[in-house]
Amino acid sequence: MSLFFSPDRPNGNDVDLKRVYDAIVVGSGAAGGMAAHVLTSHGMKVLLLEAGKKLNINKELKSMEWPYDHPRRGDIPPDTHALNRNEYNFRPRPYAKGMPYSHVYNYVEGWNSADYSKNIVVDEKDNPYTGTSYAWVRARCLGGKTNIWGRLALRLSDYDFKAKSHDGYGEDWPISYQDLAPYYDKVDLYLGISGHKENLPYLPDSIFQRAIRLTKSETMLRESLAKMGRVLTPYRAGVTTDGVKNKYRSRCFGRGACERRTGGCDIHAAFDSPTGLIYPALDTGNLTLRTNATAYEITVDPDSGRARGVAFIDTDTGKAYEARGKAVVVAASTLESARLLLLSKSKTYPNGIGNSSSHVGHNFCEHLMGPGVTGIVKDLVGKARTLDDGRPGGFYVPRFRNLKERNPNFIRAYGFEGSSGNTMFPQSAFWAKGFGSSYKKQVRDYAGAFIDMGGFGEVLARYENYVDIDPEVKDKWGVPALRFHYKFGDNEKKMAADMSDAARDMFEQAGIEIVEVKHQVQTEGWSIHELGTARMGTDPKTSVLNQFQQSHDVKNLLVVDGSSHVSASCHNPTWTIMALAWRSCDHLADQLRKGEI
Amino acid sequence: MADQDNLTRRELIQLTAAAAVAGAAVPSGLANEAAPKFFTKDEFAMVDELSELIIPTDEHSPGARAAQVAAYIDGRLAESFEDEPKRRWRKGLARINSLSGEMHGQPFMQATPEQRLALLTRIAKNEEKPEAPEEHFFQELKGRTARAYYTSKVGIHQEMEYKGNVLLPEFVGYEAK
Repeated sequence: MSLFFSPDRPNGNDVDLKRVYDAIVVGSGAAGGMAAHVLTSHGMKVLLLEAGKKLNINKELKSMEWPYDHPRRGDIPPDTHALNRNEYNFRPRPYAKGMPYSHVYNYVEGWNSADYSKNIVVDEKDNPYTGTSYAWVRARCLGGKTNIWGRLALRLSDYDFKAKSHDGYGEDWPISYQDLAPYYDKVDLYLGISGHKENLPYLPDSIFQRAIRLTKSETMLRESLAKMGRVLTPYRAGVTTDGVKNKYRSRCFGRGACERRTGGCDIHAAFDSPTGLIYPALDTGNLTLRTNATAYEITVDPDSGRARGVAFIDTDTGKAYEARGKAVVVAASTLESARLLLLSKSKTYPNGIGNSSSHVGHNFCEHLMGPGVTGIVKDLVGKARTLDDGRPGGFYVPRFRNLKERNPNFIRAYGFEGSSGNTMFPQSAFWAKGFGSSYKKQVRDYAGAFIDMGGFGEVLARYENYVDIDPEVKDKWGVPALRFHYKFGDNEKKMAADMSDAARDMFEQAGIEIVEVKHQVQTEGWSIHELGTARMGTDPKTSVLNQFQQSHDVKNLLVVDGSSHVSASCHNPTWTIMALAWRSCDHLADQLRKGEI
Repeated sequence: MADQDNLTRRELIQLTAAAAVAGAAVPSGLANEAAPKFFTKDEFAMVDELSELIIPTDEHSPGARAAQVAAYIDGRLAESFEDEPKRRWRKGLARINSLSGEMHGQPFMQATPEQRLALLTRIAKNEEKPEAPEEHFFQELKGRTARAYYTSKVGIHQEMEYKGNVLLPEFVGYEAK
């Protein structure tokens, strides 16, 4: 594989605790990686803190290993356990408490080939949380969840940024599409994105590299949807299909491992924060990387009220340190960032830093999942085997509700992600009935004829949906745990019902035989798209951050991850997280240069 | 870190062992006459036979026996952290034998091929809504057999003629128009 990428980089320099860095970035995922990239490219001296370790990621992922070359065909070891849907709803919290297994993981580790990501996600035993049921997927390692993300890279539009103006609910964002469009462009060009131009005002096109092609059933569905005024477009993948100028990344070679695993790409054609952002930032000489550093408090200079630095615990030794910076950029993920702000209580900020509005942890929103449809394309039954999974994703059906017409039952919208065709493990194997040669033949004949899609719907941001700090439970390092107060509401339930009906209808109109319509809404958290816990806004009384993701209360404190989002939209958030972080860090670098911070 | 290193080493050893098993083409499904790890020899022979009835060798490709499905199921059960799956399999196989006794007057492995087929047909008939214990066991048996077979070398390459997991200059599909 050395043909495709340079060897792994060593860690960065040791952290200098006497020094005042231009900025300390907390978290190394999409947001933190982007902050490190943008600030170091402006010549700023940056310290990047990551709670987890730096993994030799290629050794973890082994993207092309065959199932039969793995002792458990990709399953996690017998003394470990992945929480399942029922457990999320019925087990008392914290979920892993008292479980006999040596490690307990989130639901994703119950998927096929999850053994390759078991060191990427956190052990629930070490990282407890309490409150309402929630499937919280966390990755503590360099790059965080970008090591295993789903890669669907979508832009938001003014249908999202100005949603309140459209339907009266919630708040508008303090920016419009025009403000963010140049930064979406920068992200597209720097990281690479694959897609097909559709000219949709509600799903703006990116600057695309070569699009992923569709399977035969997908072209059929695309044609049928066009007659309904709807669109099926090739998966807009945060994957470089033509290559980018980055010695740590290869272009996509259609190996297809991304379709049968918890994500992960060991040639890094799929964007991940370490190779896409952090290693190049290290190469500038301006970045100091400190892994195994669990931030537990943003410290405050009591005289100025400004953030002074970040207190962290060494994950291995348990020793506590404080690093200092002119600015603190929080990018620990939506829920961890809220936790860090709330934990940072002082005389100056008794309510948690940046929380004079009492909105930190609130307006928590995401995407609901569950409703969807599986079908069979009859024309493809019994056809010769084709290679259908040599690509980083299948297709996307963008939103169609509440654009011009107003749905009487719910506001906002949903889109569908889908895939079809032959896969390494035939979908027909668990569907075909009976046994013997006729069973075998049925599995063969139908394996390439399956098509599925599942919805992602906007969950409304509501003040009543929030997280706070549990008064008793602490994690392995003694840091108080997060407590959830979060439930889907009426709008989500009505939207979910419509998602199932619409999915069935689209398949039926395309002549696809229905195998199963899924109605059940998955546990809160399933989409791994948590957003909104420190939202931006123009009013410091009802928002936490300004349009540059800067705390209204503390000028040198920024929160650049998904917690800043004002509403969830129904579009996957990663590309927006990175475009916003780029914009805000450009602004921060400017302020640092001018001495305003 | 120490744990991880150990895990990696342990996995490597298991991987080597698995490769050795996969390499030896022993028709009984039990490599090198090694004793089963969880099943008794009689139970192992039953699982081997039942899996082969579910996914048989036919004119298209070798079946579950050639793919050593029984050995894989045996290995997974042997290392199972919980006793419940072990109990389920032991009870399930005992039920197959008692059912064979009711139907044909002798244990499953002593029954004729036609009688074995008749038994399997009976426990498979309510596949979509299993009620009797043996019907539930059929689901378990078939599920594990399918999982093991279609992740095996035989299942992936010979039976399914899977074409992926290769370096592709470009995915050959249809352009969106």
